[in-house]
Amino acid sequence: MSDLKISGLHKYYGALHVVKGIDLDIPAGEFTVLVGQSGCGKSTLLRTIAGLEVADKGAIEIGGQRVNDLAPRDRDIAMVFQNYALYPYMTVFDNIAFGLRARKTPKSEIGPKVAAAAKMLGIDHLLERFPRQLSGGQLQRVAIGRAVVRNARLYLFDEPLSNLDAQLRDEMRGEIKRLHQELGKTMIYVTHDQIEAMTMADRIVLLREGVIEQQGAPLDLYERPATRYVAGFLGSPSMNFIPAGVVANGAAISVRLGDGTSLPVPAERAVGLGTWQGKPLMLGVRPEHIGPAGRDQRPGLAPVQAVVDLVQPTGSRSYATFQLGGVAAVAELQAHDVSRPGERLELSIDMNRTVLIDAATEKVISS
Amino acid sequence: MAATAGRSGDRGFRYSLVAPSIVILLLIGVFPLVYLLVVSFQGITMMETDTSFHGLLNYRLLFSDARLWQSLLHTIVFTVVALPIELGLGLAMAQLFIDRLPGRQVFVALLVLPVVVSPIVAGATWSLMFDNRFGPVNEIIGWIAGKEMPLLWTVKPDLVYVAILVAEIWQWTPFMFLLLLAALSRVDRSQLEAAQIDGAGYWRTFFRIVLPAIWPVMAVAILIRGLDLFRLFDIVWALTKGGPGTMTETISIFTYVKGFQQFETSYTAAVALLIIVLLSVLVLTALRRVSLSR
Repeated sequence: MSDLKISGLHKYYGALHVVKGIDLDIPAGEFTVLVGQSGCGKSTLLRTIAGLEVADKGAIEIGGQRVNDLAPRDRDIAMVFQNYALYPYMTVFDNIAFGLRARKTPKSEIGPKVAAAAKMLGIDHLLERFPRQLSGGQLQRVAIGRAVVRNARLYLFDEPLSNLDAQLRDEMRGEIKRLHQELGKTMIYVTHDQIEAMTMADRIVLLREGVIEQQGAPLDLYERPATRYVAGFLGSPSMNFIPAGVVANGAAISVRLGDGTSLPVPAERAVGLGTWQGKPLMLGVRPEHIGPAGRDQRPGLAPVQAVVDLVQPTGSRSYATFQLGGVAAVAELQAHDVSRPGERLELSIDMNRTVLIDAATEKVISS
Repeated sequence: MAATAGRSGDRGFRYSLVAPSIVILLLIGVFPLVYLLVVSFQGITMMETDTSFHGLLNYRLLFSDARLWQSLLHTIVFTVVALPIELGLGLAMAQLFIDRLPGRQVFVALLVLPVVVSPIVAGATWSLMFDNRFGPVNEIIGWIAGKEMPLLWTVKPDLVYVAILVAEIWQWTPFMFLLLLAALSRVDRSQLEAAQIDGAGYWRTFFRIVLPAIWPVMAVAILIRGLDLFRLFDIVWALTKGGPGTMTETISIFTYVKGFQQFETSYTAAVALLIIVLLSVLVLTALRRVSLSR
């Protein structure tokens, strides 16, 4: 049973084509994250689901009912806004109770419902305060409280954490995920932050320029990206892309980089690669799949020489930048594996985990 | 010791810098008021310059002057009728223009035109509009009625208030419109959207979210217009000169007639002081209400 079904959705702002034919099917109870760079249409998509924008083409169904022509109030949704959008002249209690009162909930039910929602979010001691007396994190909790107090079918979050500082963001991320587990409701969450997407989502829908680039479980997208864009968008620091080609030598296949470095491809991953000989490709390597040579003796590790240009320690790990195949590449190493720029390192690339991308279409051909 | 002298010298210097503006303020602000008070206790008229002390004579006369209290009543009627209409119309127009329509700028500029016109000119214009022989108002009413309608707008007792109110509202509604448009356009859109999703209808959204947000501006607009209406003069003067008889005489017109047509100088001083006291009480209460509600 799907809770939200979108088919062939288009949205224009004047001549600007923002959403270009989205098809999406979200099962009940799933936490879906719409992620993409600013301007990719993710917020517009969410606002169109909410009914704050009118769909120019295509259908939106919530709980099996077509809602294109329904007002936001009749769509059985609740929404949390980026800037909280709390009502400044009402107390926290009145803010949370506003939707209940607007929907003519009996007075005797409003008090207990607000109290329960406030307790769940740890804001029960703030009910008499006004929004201007609250901190950013508290404001965000009230905004979430206002949404969850209304037992809606669909919960929409429009970049709710982007106004918070980093530490609070981490905390609220966990809080929203916990809330989803407790309520078991269908939630759609918009963010530009790939870490939020990875950590919170049951399913990531990655948007690019108004179309869905790829969707799936977070680790599926991370490990088996369909395009160069997806591969580069998820992960921090992001994947290294090195111009390359494949060379077949009998049954053995290897990847040859611009500077002549040859990286043998493990036999089980080499199937079908032979046909790509002579075509321009990209080798995609995640920083964490480049490690010091010799520490590991697994098959499929290809050794490379590196002269470190730049070291960025983060505490537990250090990011080392070096030249690979004529471009700058980043390796994520143990903090003490690298100490200073200019250092020579023997590194190895885990060829089991790399992806090969067709440079012409930017599609992943092997992952 | 030296430090103290330095500091007090410093203070003297500061006072000497402020002194000129204080003197000017006293001269143009306080002196006329004091002089007004003095004159109101004397017996100066066009006939004689009797500067002897008459005690509270003029003030006693005030309370038995029916024409004064009637003019005050007229003023209150104009204010109580015109102010809510200007506010309501201004707000409705602002709501209409809050969405981006094609040609919005042009329309706003046109709508605001009446405010730019001097009130005496507006009054003179409307007196031409209401002319019983060649005024367009009667002409248009004649088309609708299907026969000639030579209505005496500025003479007939049952029409004259309508005529003045129309001119007054025509001129000053755009002022409300402009202020409220600015206030409305600063209401947070996402709050309105949140209310929409919460299921609030138009009126609930308006009273709970929009009105509290625009209230500070609205209160100031009401205060400014209320004071203006209390001093209503030009439009009435241009249309009726307070007539027929004294039927549309406002407190400002009454004061002007007493002081500068009948030259009852001391009595007029007493009237002026009465107005000042009334307005001060009104404004101070209003200001306190506004600042309390914030």
